[in-house]
Amino acid sequence: MTTGGTHAVPAVAAGSGAQQPARAPRPAVRLARLYATSRRVPAAVTAIVACALGLRIALAGHWDGYGALHLPLVFETAAATAIAATAASPLGEPERLTGRWLPWLRLAATLALTAVAIGALAAAGTGTHLAGGTLDAARNLAGIAGIGLLCAATISGGLAWIGPAAYLIPGAYALYTQWHHPALTTPWLWPGRPPHDLGAAVCAGLVFAAGAAVITVRGARDLAGEQA
Amino acid sequence: MTATSAPARSGPVTRSPGLAAARLLGLELRHNAMLWMMPVAIALFWFTAGRKIMATPPLWSLRAAGTQLSGVLAFASPVAGAAAWMGSRENRRRTTDLVSITARPRPGRLLAIWAATTCWALVAYLACVIVVYGVTAHQATWGGPLWWPAVVAAATLPALAALGLAAGSLLPGRFTAPVVAIGAFFVLALSTQLIQGSQSYWQISPIVTGAWDSPPDPEAGTFYAYVPDLPIAQVMFLTGLTAAVLGALALPTGSGLRSVRRSAVAITAAGLLAAGAAVTVTGTGRLDAHGMIAIPALHDAASDRPLRYTPVCGHTAIPVCLNPAYASYLPATEAALAPVLGQIAGLPGAPARISQAAATYQQGRGNGVGIRLAGSRISGAPPVFHMLLPIQLLGPVLTTPELVRQERSITGPSIVASVTGDGPGASQAQHAVTTALLMAAGAVPPHLPSPAAPTTSRSGPPPGAGSGDERYVVPPPGSPAYAAARRFAALPAAVRHGWLTQHLAALRAGRISLVQLP
Repeated sequence: MTTGGTHAVPAVAAGSGAQQPARAPRPAVRLARLYATSRRVPAAVTAIVACALGLRIALAGHWDGYGALHLPLVFETAAATAIAATAASPLGEPERLTGRWLPWLRLAATLALTAVAIGALAAAGTGTHLAGGTLDAARNLAGIAGIGLLCAATISGGLAWIGPAAYLIPGAYALYTQWHHPALTTPWLWPGRPPHDLGAAVCAGLVFAAGAAVITVRGARDLAGEQA
Repeated sequence: MTATSAPARSGPVTRSPGLAAARLLGLELRHNAMLWMMPVAIALFWFTAGRKIMATPPLWSLRAAGTQLSGVLAFASPVAGAAAWMGSRENRRRTTDLVSITARPRPGRLLAIWAATTCWALVAYLACVIVVYGVTAHQATWGGPLWWPAVVAAATLPALAALGLAAGSLLPGRFTAPVVAIGAFFVLALSTQLIQGSQSYWQISPIVTGAWDSPPDPEAGTFYAYVPDLPIAQVMFLTGLTAAVLGALALPTGSGLRSVRRSAVAITAAGLLAAGAAVTVTGTGRLDAHGMIAIPALHDAASDRPLRYTPVCGHTAIPVCLNPAYASYLPATEAALAPVLGQIAGLPGAPARISQAAATYQQGRGNGVGIRLAGSRISGAPPVFHMLLPIQLLGPVLTTPELVRQERSITGPSIVASVTGDGPGASQAQHAVTTALLMAAGAVPPHLPSPAAPTTSRSGPPPGAGSGDERYVVPPPGSPAYAAARRFAALPAAVRHGWLTQHLAALRAGRISLVQLP
């Protein structure tokens, strides 16, 4: 800070009868806004909305059985990857040492983005033949986002996409085996399970909970010298 | 003049440019993200494709096609994502200005990254191919490896690496690598939705191995030579695409000397021409009679000739002979047909051999493919009965008991009908004798009511039994033909055989009525 910058700070007059200065944004809101900006949350929201729009446009086309089944999963994975990508921090160690509210901000951002993604994909599927329906989309998205968050915490924030992108392939294969036996029935491959399958929902929920918990407590792992 | 605006030095930094390039490649190989993605790619390949490929019959055509499709899909996301990640490295590490003043021009640096990514991707892919082909070589009973499908998948990896690298270097950001990784899978897996028939330009997609929406054709490399027309076009397209993308990376100003940019323009143009030509010729392809895509501009007529082979034959009462590539099916086929063959062996007009024949393919509406027996069911003197194995009908892979059941219920009645003259328009006595022989062979249960007949089935064996999926339906229980069949089946085998030897000609001519059956 330069000395020239100090004069811009308004002086707060003491005493009850003094005139109050123009009201500054509440610190919590400002903190949340700064956090969201540093994590590229607006870009992630844009990406999620783009995924929803892409799904909506794609669903308007004609798809055969394979395409209709795989299409939602691809967009769910893309939206989940956008959520995981926000875990990376550009500030690193200084922020971790001084950011008292950081865990709560991480948790809030993760939950908010997941809710936005589920809502956007559900809206995209409204009135169309979305394979599996909204419940399926919510389960898949939450579980894959959990994988991404776990990757962010263990590998690197920038490489959080590896988990979701890799999971997409066995997930799509599990869907494929529903038609080409022997089917993969493990609930850990939840995209291949029906929407009301309890085991798959539990597995996806567990993965999301684990991812959210790890990212809340530890945050994303930083690679030395890498800009998030 | 600042350091960053100074022109990059274009001369070699060592006495040997080749050595410097090799050192740069070595550095990139050590620090490339694809090195760490190799286990991921290999694991994805084996999880999604390994057990599926190994579960298919040990036929080179099936295993090679599975390797191509699964290899491309399993490696697409890791390779494209890793390349995009590497492409954005300078931006991510804030070294753009630092490296822009080094001796190596930007295209050279990017080329080294691409080469390193491609090398590791190819190493991982080749490891998978070696295992699949090695196991297949151990299991296959005839034929040799089909290399073109493996080459197509291998050619896909440099193209994916180039596309990922271009995206990462031109649009660096935290969302670039995931978008590229997922986008690569999306484009490859779902682009085939646009294929309509065998004359589709979209067959250029490297996951297409033949007629789309149909399982891989087992005829390739067994009855007829493998037709590499489509793989040649795909490799041409992928090579052109790779060249075009890599050339385009050197086009921006500041990418180096003018001569380098001129070369880049030429490479890009040549790549685009090659890719465009490949797409164009692919649109002229057609499904040939042997189930493969033939492209007139690339077709070699020599590949249409049938392959020469010595059939492997069993030891049933009437020998069953198969193409040696299908030798592993001989025990099951013999087990399925032996009871039926035992009933007709020695009868006048009975086939001297049951021989596996090639199928013929015909493009139907959309992506539908019609498959039937090539040629007639019975030919030659002494007569040879020609049949198709269930695997040739592009159905699902069957277990041995399923195979035995299907052979017994489709091919068995067809063989018996060829002896009794049963079929559409045959007499009730012919239906009864056919049913009786099948009952005696255990192919039709003698004491159970027949299942409800499907709408497309009718009493008596289908005319093309053995080449379609139509099953023989016994005469309805309680009908005179059914009662006569049970009565005839209950006779001692020698009596039945003696009566047939004496009256078969009259039965085939339709001169025997139900009441004349013993």
